[in-house]
Amino acid sequence: MIRLEQLRKSYGGRLALEPLNLDVARGEVVALVGPNGAGKSTTLRALAGIVRPSGGRAFIAGHDVVTDAVAARSHLGYLSQRLGVPASTVLRDLVELVARVRGVAPATAVQTLTVAGLSDRLGSTIGELSGGQRQRLMIALATLGPVTALLLDEPGISLDAEGSEEVRRAICEARDRGTAVLFASHQLHDVAALADRIVVMVQGRVVAQGSLAELAQAAGVPCDAAPPEPPIERIYRILVSRGRESAGHLTLLREDAA
Amino acid sequence: MSHTLSLCRFELAAALRGRTAPVFAGGFALASVAVALVGLSAGGVLAVQGFARTSVSLLELVVWVVPILALITGAVAGADCHELEFTASLPIRRAGIVFSRWLAGTLTLGAALLVGLGSAGLVIGLLAGTADGWRYLRLIGVAVRVLAATLALGLWIGVAVRTRLKAVGVAVAVWFVLVIGVDLVAIGALAVLPPGKAGPWLSALLMASPIDSARALGLSLFHADVVAGPTGAALSAVLGKAGAWALTAALIGWTLVPLTLAGRRFSRSDL
Repeated sequence: MIRLEQLRKSYGGRLALEPLNLDVARGEVVALVGPNGAGKSTTLRALAGIVRPSGGRAFIAGHDVVTDAVAARSHLGYLSQRLGVPASTVLRDLVELVARVRGVAPATAVQTLTVAGLSDRLGSTIGELSGGQRQRLMIALATLGPVTALLLDEPGISLDAEGSEEVRRAICEARDRGTAVLFASHQLHDVAALADRIVVMVQGRVVAQGSLAELAQAAGVPCDAAPPEPPIERIYRILVSRGRESAGHLTLLREDAA
Repeated sequence: MSHTLSLCRFELAAALRGRTAPVFAGGFALASVAVALVGLSAGGVLAVQGFARTSVSLLELVVWVVPILALITGAVAGADCHELEFTASLPIRRAGIVFSRWLAGTLTLGAALLVGLGSAGLVIGLLAGTADGWRYLRLIGVAVRVLAATLALGLWIGVAVRTRLKAVGVAVAVWFVLVIGVDLVAIGALAVLPPGKAGPWLSALLMASPIDSARALGLSLFHADVVAGPTGAALSAVLGKAGAWALTAALIGWTLVPLTLAGRRFSRSDL
């Protein structure tokens, strides 16, 4: 459903994303983790058509995101780290736009606002919402309609415990509908709980990928390690540290990693 | 295409909710009534001028003020396109985003012009009679055409420059060039070219600026081509009755070309 073939991106002379191969199948949830500047957002933005890849190709539901961009985006739900619409936008207008574009009945679209706890804010502007409310709105819109590929960039940011639970539920529901989900997050507990596969990126490179158990094995951490430090955080630290030390060398856990 | 129309509706709703259009309408209504009154006050009479005199006076206001407002509005809207990450992830062509912003701006500000100049027209019609009222209506048409062209030009500037402040700076500089620069080149051409040879060059220069095109088109409403200066007189001599059509075509070109370039540029941009 989501496929990257040697996808790379550079800004000026700086390589932000080294050639990357990745597949996300229907109903699979894949998480991108890594420190700031690892290339997680760049990967998602290239897939969403927000930035143009410098090389390689990317596909959503078989459609090339550059040469067949509109068809690719018709299958796509995308949550950006940025707001992505003017703050003066009225919620009702935005919901109606997304509903029309995705072929969803307006009543169904308004229902998504009810789920997001914003049904009484239809006449408000986005600028009048709190950070958490905005995030819930944009997640609700990203998952609205017949979306078969979902890209979420830091979906848990700005959210309280209840909002984080909603995000986890939204991702699980999308997966259960057969949607391919690719998300970037610093919230490692969510990653451990949701992801079928975890891709660890450092400085634009994939340094490891696999299930949590595979990553734990690669990091030499027993998966049932007891608190105070949950395994995912320890695994993450070890793999990122190794990735930084082994600049230019990739730790491959799966054949499709690059 | 249907998705682009949906986006046009969205942009139009947003533009109608903004403050720009009412301010634009109110400003032009006040300015029009003021021009109608002030014209005769110099002669010691406080009365309202008729449509013909008011239209000639208003033409200068239209060709100076409408373009600078439209260039700045377009430049800001164009620069803001780079913030529309969510909209750009929807199945809508990037060029459609630029087009919908232009269409919404043209319709909203065009309606504001119609309301502003139209309400002043009502006052003039009631107090000074309706003679030559059609010329006034056609002047509004010229104003909308130059609005559409300079808004498209502003959008291209904004999309290319990317940041609001720089885009506004470039838009103001372009306005100066279009208002003054082209006339200076015309004067230079007259000085350099031999008599009788300058006509085609000056006609081309007139169409090289949407503002001069609109000015000449407005003056042609009053058979006052000669008042347009050397370029207007040359255009009248070279193009004859086809002059108005040529100027209209130039304004359409000044709309379509920047709009196309803005769409292409935005389609290739990283947000």
